[in-house]
Amino acid sequence: MEYSCTLLNAIFVPIIGAFILPLAGRVSAVIRNTIAFGLIAASLIFSLKMLPAVSAGQTLVINKQFAFGLNFVLVADPLAVFMASISSFLSTIILFYSFGYISHYENQNEYYFMVVLFLGAMMGLIFSANLVLLYIFWEITAITSWRLIGFFREKNHVLRADKAFLLTAFGAITMLIGFVSLYQQAGSFDLSAIKASAQIHPIANFAVMLILFGILSKSATLPFHTWLPDAGVAPSPVTALLHAAILVKIGVYVFARIFVATVTPAQFWQTAVPVIAAVSAIVSAGAALMETDLKRLIAYSTVSQIGFIFFGLSVGNSLAIAGGLLYILMHGIAKAGLFLCAGIIEQNTKTKDITKLGGLINTMPVTAISFLLCAFSVMGIPPFGGFFSKYMVFAGAIGAQKYWISLVFLIGAFMTILYLFRAFNLIFLGEAKMTHAKEGSLSMVTSVAILGALSLLSGLTVYYPSKFVEMTVSHMLGVKF
Amino acid sequence: MYSSLILIPFFSVIVLNLPFRTLMKKSAFWVCIALSLIQIFAVLFSPTGSLGNLTEMFFSFLRVDLWIDNLSRIMLLCIGIVLFTAAWVQKELSKDEERQFNFMNVLLLLLAGLNGIVLVRDIFSLYVFLEITAVSSFILIGFNKERDAFEAAFKYIILSVIATALMLTSIGLLLMIAGDTSFATISATLKTSPDKLLAMFAVAIFLCAAFIKGGVMPFHGWLPDAYSASPASVSVILAGVVTKTVGVYTLIRIVYSVFGYSPALTLILLIVGTLSVVLGALAALGQSDFKRMLAYSSISQVGYIVLGLATGSMLGLAGAVFHLFNHSIFKSLLFVNSAAVESSTGTRNMDNLAGLAKKMPVTGTTSILASLSCAGIPPLAGFWSKLLIIVALWMGKFYAFAIIAALASILTLAYFLSLQRRVFFGKLREDLAHIKESGFGFLLSMTILALITIGAGLGFPFILNSFLLPVKTISGG
Repeated sequence: MEYSCTLLNAIFVPIIGAFILPLAGRVSAVIRNTIAFGLIAASLIFSLKMLPAVSAGQTLVINKQFAFGLNFVLVADPLAVFMASISSFLSTIILFYSFGYISHYENQNEYYFMVVLFLGAMMGLIFSANLVLLYIFWEITAITSWRLIGFFREKNHVLRADKAFLLTAFGAITMLIGFVSLYQQAGSFDLSAIKASAQIHPIANFAVMLILFGILSKSATLPFHTWLPDAGVAPSPVTALLHAAILVKIGVYVFARIFVATVTPAQFWQTAVPVIAAVSAIVSAGAALMETDLKRLIAYSTVSQIGFIFFGLSVGNSLAIAGGLLYILMHGIAKAGLFLCAGIIEQNTKTKDITKLGGLINTMPVTAISFLLCAFSVMGIPPFGGFFSKYMVFAGAIGAQKYWISLVFLIGAFMTILYLFRAFNLIFLGEAKMTHAKEGSLSMVTSVAILGALSLLSGLTVYYPSKFVEMTVSHMLGVKF
Repeated sequence: MYSSLILIPFFSVIVLNLPFRTLMKKSAFWVCIALSLIQIFAVLFSPTGSLGNLTEMFFSFLRVDLWIDNLSRIMLLCIGIVLFTAAWVQKELSKDEERQFNFMNVLLLLLAGLNGIVLVRDIFSLYVFLEITAVSSFILIGFNKERDAFEAAFKYIILSVIATALMLTSIGLLLMIAGDTSFATISATLKTSPDKLLAMFAVAIFLCAAFIKGGVMPFHGWLPDAYSASPASVSVILAGVVTKTVGVYTLIRIVYSVFGYSPALTLILLIVGTLSVVLGALAALGQSDFKRMLAYSSISQVGYIVLGLATGSMLGLAGAVFHLFNHSIFKSLLFVNSAAVESSTGTRNMDNLAGLAKKMPVTGTTSILASLSCAGIPPLAGFWSKLLIIVALWMGKFYAFAIIAALASILTLAYFLSLQRRVFFGKLREDLAHIKESGFGFLLSMTILALITIGAGLGFPFILNSFLLPVKTISGG
């Protein structure tokens, strides 16, 4: 098919291209940055190029068989293309921001290499429809995030990088055992074979639990969330890229891919997963209320919001699932914006402690406005993007008669408003405690302004993404709205 | 043709020493390199899947049958690659011509012994070559004439002698039961043996001997000392191929081709394997000496190979053999890394090192690749072999063992991350600011080994079909 080349390009252009970057960096930093940007933008263009065909109902499959049920299968269905477009789009903006942020540090070659490799692995993970293939890309993202968290090479940074790697690897390995148990049942690691066999024998709860370990650890959900706030020691574009916008969405995406689109776990999990998500959302929102380190605060907020996404995907109602998917988009934009704003603040004031900041709205107006716009979206204030996704999740959950859990999440949503206003208040309003603070560099300010504007725009034009999400859900579940 | 893999090293030693000893000094190293390359190419480009039966008369009174199957081919390949590396490392480490000449001579003897073990088809010749290998290893371990090294060599000798005694007893018993020492006859007799108890005893003590030689967990006492006290090039070859051939290959060969599986044997292998995997990894976590950590890691990884063997399935065996190959590659690579670090900084104590990746980029990068491969992180080769072993355990319904084996790779990752953190990743210590990247021999061998690890990982589906699945053509009795 004509699109198979596009699909392979979307994955392997960044992966293979990443290896050129350290060499290019020896020649000149500008060439390296241009190539890096080109690679990620290429991935974005290839993803977008698949949108029309996928919207028209086509599904693209590349399949090559090997022994032992190991095959090389890539599938571009609406869900995958949706996720790929979000990831590559946000990466493009974050990379653009990095040009300003990272330019005064050492090890830039490694930085660009890892970021581009990360995106390539992410694309591979999104499109792979074989569990082993998925696992391979999953672990490549773990390796890159390990290197990136320890980017500054400080002793406790490296320790935290190790912690993140170990915790996610633990989840990944238990997940792998779960995969092996699916393999035992289906005789193949191919998702379509697993889907076929799961229709005859429902999959074991044990396997669901093991796979959930992996998903929860990657998505930093309670009780595996502790690595995410600690990972805030990484450079800000990295925290935005890995820990807010994209990496933590891997778990959510794989949840949608395996437990929504492929197999249906037992009824019991439709209560258990929302409960885990609710605990995670409330506890981390509480932590965010207490936190004074800006990046940790936003990280806890991420943990909390991921709970909402899991809630949407797991209650077993098509509207809630659509809401959960839309949430990935809206939260990705808004939270990346918040982290990038935090990066500007941190770099220009040399502190992350929000109690030492204040009145920055006068010296950093663009950052302040962008922060506010993104925060509104995360809070779920209409007409910002985040409102619509949150609304769909709640409407779906109530449709599925999950009243009590919805109430808990409502409290969580209220706490979100509290801690984000508190943060905004302490950082930007009040008396100015710093006189030397100034606005960030052009590429940095442009990036946050774009994300801030998008948070609003995505809400105003919510018709288009929600249409696509509806189509995705009906494709996943095989039902019409 | 394969007999020449044993004969040429022997003759080279004679030729190097007898007529023009002084003239030959420079060439000893190149003879080693040439022989290892010949071996690699002979294995890679000989017709695949052929089961040659090569009868040679090279002792006038004793006929030795030589066979080759896919398991032996993979071992021969490992031996070739690791020998090549070890020779380069030794060349970098020692500039003294006389010592280097002596070293290369012993290395050639070792090569002959290892190749012999892999190629023979009867249990007594196997024993003969095991002894040749063991004696050469004693000399190599104590080669630098240091106190620690002598102590390690002495420990190794004592335990090795015990293993030998057990093995000889077992061979004697088997000869008594079967009337012959060839694998085929013993295997056939054991299947129908009336002397069940005696046969089981013989099998049991032979297994113990193989465990001692392979340094598996309850029998591992000698191994950390031997690996860490011996010269760097010797650690590479000991960890990479000697214990693997002498212990693990022998174990696989004997269990699979001669003894056959029984529930008791499977259980013993499972327990010994799991003990090694878990305790080896835990012990490695506590080390601060670079080479000792790698030594304990070796014990742990050998455990995985034993687990794969224990399943007795084709999948498990393919996994075990692939892990054997991978382990040779990545563990040799890590030992070369440690040698490079030691020769540049003068210490192996990880607490005195930090941030070396900045000064030694090749060493740093290749050590990351080797560590991740060892920890079973995809897409590197070690992931695939561990995956095969875990899948095989799971399919064999050994669920608990599969889960322990899988979770133990977290421990593996933990100690390798701690190694990376203490040696390479992190801020450079100020007193190490003058360090330079190591010499050409190191860089060459590190690059080659790292490329093999990556290549075997990415090209795994092809390797699986062409090299590993044919492992089933290991001729069972």
